[in-house]
Amino acid sequence: MVRSKGNVDYVIVAVTLVLLCIGLVMVHSASSVISAQKFTDAFYYAKRQLMWAGLGLVLMFIMANFDYHRLRAWAPKVVIASFLFLVLVLLVGESRGGSKAWLGIGSFGIQPSEFAKLALVLFLAHYLADAADRMESFVRGFLPPLFISLLAVGLIMLEPDLGQSVVIMGTTIVMLYAAGARLSQLGLLGGSGLLAFAALVAMAPYRIKRIVAFLDPWQDPLGKGYQIIQSLYALGSGGLVGLGLGNSRQKYLYLPEPQTDFIYSILGEELGFLGGATVLVLFGVLVWRGFRTAMFAPDEFGSLLAAGITGMIAVQVLINVGVVTSSIPATGITLPFISFGGSSLTLMLTGVGILLNISRQSLR
Amino acid sequence: MRVTRRTMRRRFVILLLCLLLAVGGLIGRLAYIQMGQSSWLKARAESSWERNIPVEGTRGTIYDDKGRELVYTASAPTVIAVPAQVKDKPGTAQALAGILQMPVADVLKLLQKKSLTVYISPKGRRVTEQQATQIRNLDRSGIYISEAGKRAYPLGSLAAQVLGITGAQNQGLTGVEKQYDDILQGQRGYISFYAKANGERMPATGEHYQPPTDGQDLQLTIDAQIQQFVEREVERAVAEYNPDRVTAIVEDPKTGNILAMANYPSFDPTHWQDYPSTTYNQNLAIWQTFEPGSTFKVVTLSAALQEKKVSLADRFYDPGYYEVAGRKVKCWKAGGHGSESFLNVVENSCNPGFIALGERLGKETLFSYIKKFGFGSKTGIDLPGEGNGILFKLNRVGPLELATTAFGQGVSVTPIQQVMAMGAIANGGMLMQPHVVQAILDHDTGQVVQQVKPQEVRRVIDADTAKQVRDALESVVARGSGGSAYQPGYRVAGKTGTAQVVVNGRYDPSHYIVSFMGMAPADNPRLVAYIAIDHPRPRNGAAVFGGVIAAPIVGRILGDSLQYLGVPTSNQGIPKKPKPLDPVKVEVPNLVGMTIGDARRTAIQSSAQLNAEVMGTGKYVIWQSPPGGTLVEPNSKVRLYLGDNPPKAN
Repeated sequence: MVRSKGNVDYVIVAVTLVLLCIGLVMVHSASSVISAQKFTDAFYYAKRQLMWAGLGLVLMFIMANFDYHRLRAWAPKVVIASFLFLVLVLLVGESRGGSKAWLGIGSFGIQPSEFAKLALVLFLAHYLADAADRMESFVRGFLPPLFISLLAVGLIMLEPDLGQSVVIMGTTIVMLYAAGARLSQLGLLGGSGLLAFAALVAMAPYRIKRIVAFLDPWQDPLGKGYQIIQSLYALGSGGLVGLGLGNSRQKYLYLPEPQTDFIYSILGEELGFLGGATVLVLFGVLVWRGFRTAMFAPDEFGSLLAAGITGMIAVQVLINVGVVTSSIPATGITLPFISFGGSSLTLMLTGVGILLNISRQSLR
Repeated sequence: MRVTRRTMRRRFVILLLCLLLAVGGLIGRLAYIQMGQSSWLKARAESSWERNIPVEGTRGTIYDDKGRELVYTASAPTVIAVPAQVKDKPGTAQALAGILQMPVADVLKLLQKKSLTVYISPKGRRVTEQQATQIRNLDRSGIYISEAGKRAYPLGSLAAQVLGITGAQNQGLTGVEKQYDDILQGQRGYISFYAKANGERMPATGEHYQPPTDGQDLQLTIDAQIQQFVEREVERAVAEYNPDRVTAIVEDPKTGNILAMANYPSFDPTHWQDYPSTTYNQNLAIWQTFEPGSTFKVVTLSAALQEKKVSLADRFYDPGYYEVAGRKVKCWKAGGHGSESFLNVVENSCNPGFIALGERLGKETLFSYIKKFGFGSKTGIDLPGEGNGILFKLNRVGPLELATTAFGQGVSVTPIQQVMAMGAIANGGMLMQPHVVQAILDHDTGQVVQQVKPQEVRRVIDADTAKQVRDALESVVARGSGGSAYQPGYRVAGKTGTAQVVVNGRYDPSHYIVSFMGMAPADNPRLVAYIAIDHPRPRNGAAVFGGVIAAPIVGRILGDSLQYLGVPTSNQGIPKKPKPLDPVKVEVPNLVGMTIGDARRTAIQSSAQLNAEVMGTGKYVIWQSPPGGTLVEPNSKVRLYLGDNPPKAN
């Protein structure tokens, strides 16, 4: 197979950089009050995010110039390593906000689940690329990749981190579908997924309360519904054009986690519907270019890898914005490129780097 | 079937479309929230950011009948802190303490409170303009200057118990201040600002001032001048008789307007905290209930005349007692009044005569009149804390209860009930509802916002009966027991009352409530005046008798007030008896052989109005000086010598 060293998809580069810049500005704006409060330094989060962005861009540049085919050989090792980290975090991890999801290194924390997400995409692409003959078989084609994903989800749910688990399952379904899995198999997966969800709710009743809060947050405005209500207040007071950059009021300690999971609320408050919709359109463009890359990738592995990375980004955006706009039950997950978070940002940019390398080798 | 790249590509397109559709759905959802629901979400968000510091409106002024200020609010700057916004608490406390001359620790404690706003009490309430300027110049975060008012009383303690008092939060606690609190209070205003969730001021946001609305003013029916006459008389009575309590009321019988209402003990409303709570919590004139005694005979008389059970010219023989259910109920006058007309019965306040009237009426009729006159239920005066009084339950009224009720014993009434009953007789038979507020005025323009109209309760007797009663009562003053209420030129009509007070289930022989209920001019009464003195203690041991103590006070109140109101004098009234030689000699009754109690009562209550001076000890009077039958001047002293046994032959 001829590997043409063409140009990267510059639309992906441009959209990623624009989103990254919006993210840096919004992290600073949203976190300034909480930073000043906690660390007496309004730039505490912004400085760190800038650092992570720098590291992420370096990783993106490296991956964009690193032939993705060479990753394939690493896939099993990478996924095993990520599983070891997931186990390690359960043993020595730090708890933040009720879930043991971080490995502390100095004053930084890294999130093994973010690493596991990308590692799984790589592994599933590797496995499914050669499974074209076996996809008809439930046991030999469908179950093995699913088993690997469920293993990761199982470990992550022990932290527990529902958001990452949902993203991993969503990404897995996207990749299985892309790889040609039968719809009946996916239907079976969906059905058992519902059962599993019911079981999870039965195990930890606070999850059902989250669902109730999503349906009617005003039932318990100071408890379960508080965060959603504060998010809606932010979006509502933003209106069409927003209060102006830096002028959010909900960030004055009303909205919890304004720089991470709920950064999109502050964005909507300061930049209005126009700002919020622009960000969604940019993600839409990114998804389009991602699937375009998948379509014209030189081989199945490249196609599935591109589709997996794009699918992961898309699923995460849909869940994050869905939660913030009270469209789906509350699930903690970051908004790619925008939310504060070192592991999330660097691994997302690494993923975009891989995507760019695939786009360079495009058949067109 | 092998999965081909074509299948894969088709699925990419489907996935892309699905994901873009979802993104489009979220954009739609976002538009719904940020545009469709924006306004109410924004309003709710704003109210969650908003914090308010209250600013009090000026409490309404209370004027008297003629527009004289009785109480107004003097407004002054007040220091309020919002603790969450005070950055440098020790520094701010230090600075404030210096200006307000308060201990630094006290100020710091207030600044550390976990509440939205705190008043820097006590020195930060009502500071001088100079202090306020100094504090403004400090420019400390979280310190605000608001306005707060304090009640000022230009006429001092005048009508204190009618006006009532206000508390620290500018709220009415008693009297008119409480009854009309909603009207006087006005609407609070606010200084509004946006705060962070932890209460600190949100930066780069302004503050909004919602000015308060002042309360409305009240115009009372109380006339400060008449009130002053009444309070002067109450003070005189206190100085002279050292009583436990005194109550006085002046009413306009045509409207039910209360022109004056005073009590002793009273208090100074500026320093009410220094007085016992009973002085500012209780208005005796409407709260206290006691046996009225002879003043109540007016009710029996009115009922008997209205029911045509008697004519004032009818004759009656009083042997000194009246036999009721086998028991002899004594007249206050030993030996009785003998043969007399019913007019004389009224003049003499002759108990057997009134027992006879009670029997002629029967218990149902007498009690129905008592209730129609308003006894046993609240008058509905616009003041808080009114008493009901107590009547016998009709099914427990036997002949004895009927007899005592007819002359004013065994019932318990409030002063205001008696005044309103007398008012009905004065105005031609209509019971009015009393009130002390006549109008609500706009605080800024002084325009009348609402006028209180005279309120009729019910017709009790007809005009003709009322006139007969008034004539009889004028005669009481001119010729009978109420003589000392007589005011030349003003036709005073009235009735005395001397009631013993039950202490531990027995009538206490030394504890009387003396009262007088009067009106003038008798042909067309403009005023009804009432006074009750509880437990007078005359210094010279003089008689404790309504006609002696209470009647002249009401006479003076009526005389001064009518003159002040410009009511012309008249010479149509009944001339005072006897004319023209006054004072005249009176006959000393024979008291020898009586128990000391009877002798004292007879001496006091006889028209001779003698002062008894007791010599020696014992139960019976064995000798007296001067002896019975001697003619002396009224209020002379009669010495009673006591022994253990009654003298054998008399």
